[in-house]
Amino acid sequence: MKASRVHAVIAAGLDNPQLLAHWRQEPDLLRGCGVEPAAVDLDALWKFAGLAVKVRHNGLRAHLPLTFRLLNVAGLEIEVFASYASFRAAEGGRYADTSEARAQDLLTFLAGWLDSDRREHALLWDVIRYELALAQLAGPVASDAHVDESSVTHTPRAKSVPRVCGRVVLHEMRCDPRVVGAVLYEKSPRLDEVQLGTCHFCYWRRGAAAEVNILQLDELGFYLLTLADGRRTAAELSRLTGGGSRPAKGFLQALGELAALGILTFDTTAGQAL
Amino acid sequence: MKYLDTPTGTTSVGLAYGPNVLEFINAHPGLVDYVEMPFEQLRHAPQLSSIQDRIPIVLHCASMSVAGFVPPADDTLAAIGLEAERTRTPWIGEHLAFVTAEGLDADADAAQPPTALTYTICPQLSEETVARVADNLASLRPRFGVPLILENSPQYFAVPGSTMPMVDFIGAVSARCDVDLLLDLSHFLITMLNTGGDAAREIDRLPLERVVEIHISGLNVQSGVVWDDHATPAPAPVFGLLERVMRRARPRAVTLEYNWAPSFPQAILRSHLERVRQAVGRV
Repeated sequence: MKASRVHAVIAAGLDNPQLLAHWRQEPDLLRGCGVEPAAVDLDALWKFAGLAVKVRHNGLRAHLPLTFRLLNVAGLEIEVFASYASFRAAEGGRYADTSEARAQDLLTFLAGWLDSDRREHALLWDVIRYELALAQLAGPVASDAHVDESSVTHTPRAKSVPRVCGRVVLHEMRCDPRVVGAVLYEKSPRLDEVQLGTCHFCYWRRGAAAEVNILQLDELGFYLLTLADGRRTAAELSRLTGGGSRPAKGFLQALGELAALGILTFDTTAGQAL
Repeated sequence: MKYLDTPTGTTSVGLAYGPNVLEFINAHPGLVDYVEMPFEQLRHAPQLSSIQDRIPIVLHCASMSVAGFVPPADDTLAAIGLEAERTRTPWIGEHLAFVTAEGLDADADAAQPPTALTYTICPQLSEETVARVADNLASLRPRFGVPLILENSPQYFAVPGSTMPMVDFIGAVSARCDVDLLLDLSHFLITMLNTGGDAAREIDRLPLERVVEIHISGLNVQSGVVWDDHATPAPAPVFGLLERVMRRARPRAVTLEYNWAPSFPQAILRSHLERVRQAVGRV
């Protein structure tokens, strides 16, 4: 086999992992390229394409250190990035120019690729969303829309309109990524010791000068923040969460607790029917 | 501007350029003698050259496709030559690999453009490739005022048509081309682990007297293959190979390549630099 043809096949397969899939299905195509099919380790080439794409994403490590550490410890690095290389090749092959866009693209891929029945996959999905939430909230903050403070109250009523103070990112997760982070930096990380269950997290930054807070909420609080859009009244939120249009005392109390944390305020004049 | 001047018989110790390198050097004066800088990074971000106000640069390169069949663009070679002159690098380290290859269907009526990658690939290990490296070096060397030295590739899979193991390939290239070597110990160990070779025995078969520079980085087993990993510390066997090489050779430089992750532990970086300095007799 001529070296130039061997190099051509290897380079083309790495550049476009879809070719590797074609060659796997129709090995004789390789013979047409001047290379004996049995001599080509397509699986190894596919993995090597994964290494190349992993290295290409080194720029994300600053924002996603736990994600990369988890990929490494769980033995997922090559599997994830080789699959991602094939995915991107099918999508046209281009990678975004900025780290932020690359991170979002990777997240989009993982959303469709990860198998939530695999423990390491479930941890990865939570950890990357956790790190991206922190990165997203740490970015520049636009000044909050003006609110007439004279109309704001911390005690909710049915007609009160809950409004989030600052910016929040809400995620339902199966683990606490902070616990995963601690495990990952142990000498011999035991990912099987991380407890799985349903957790509701709110990543919250009140304003430009504030730190990002991480709140673990109960289910009601989580969905209230999901639905609070600064337009719906407490009564409407009550209806949307399965209660009556006259909010129960406990419901208003839950809103009040979020207000006590500082994450919600109530506008009594801005409500509008939806 | 600082330039590397390694006295005969001594070995300089450096770091591959990466996140936080300058901060580390400033925080640990005297521990690092130079920074190894990829030509491709300098070309993309010329402002990085200002690091040479603080510390010498050794130029590294991954653009010449020395073991390939598609020559690099003339303007690329001209730019490498300019950087070599400007930095006064004592040599240019280049990969014994290819980065560009013919298009897949070279016989087609309308010839396909070459496939150009951004990373280096282990070539076919054969007499044909050795001859090609010799031809390529014959045309490349006159373009530069300093020597080219060649770095062994990590081998992750059997390259079709190969007729010799990595050690024989390196030996054949070195002898036929009269070229010095950049011995990447991690690449070497990776190759041995992936191909079933005995690293300690095989390294003794290399022309170690031709080793000018050594690279050290981490490695990582994923999906059943051992991979190069500049985000993890080199394991003990890599340092074992370094000590073995130092018994027979006197390289002019040893470079730690821990440049993929900004979170690389500074304490480990410091301790590995000290370990290298001890191994090369600099303490």
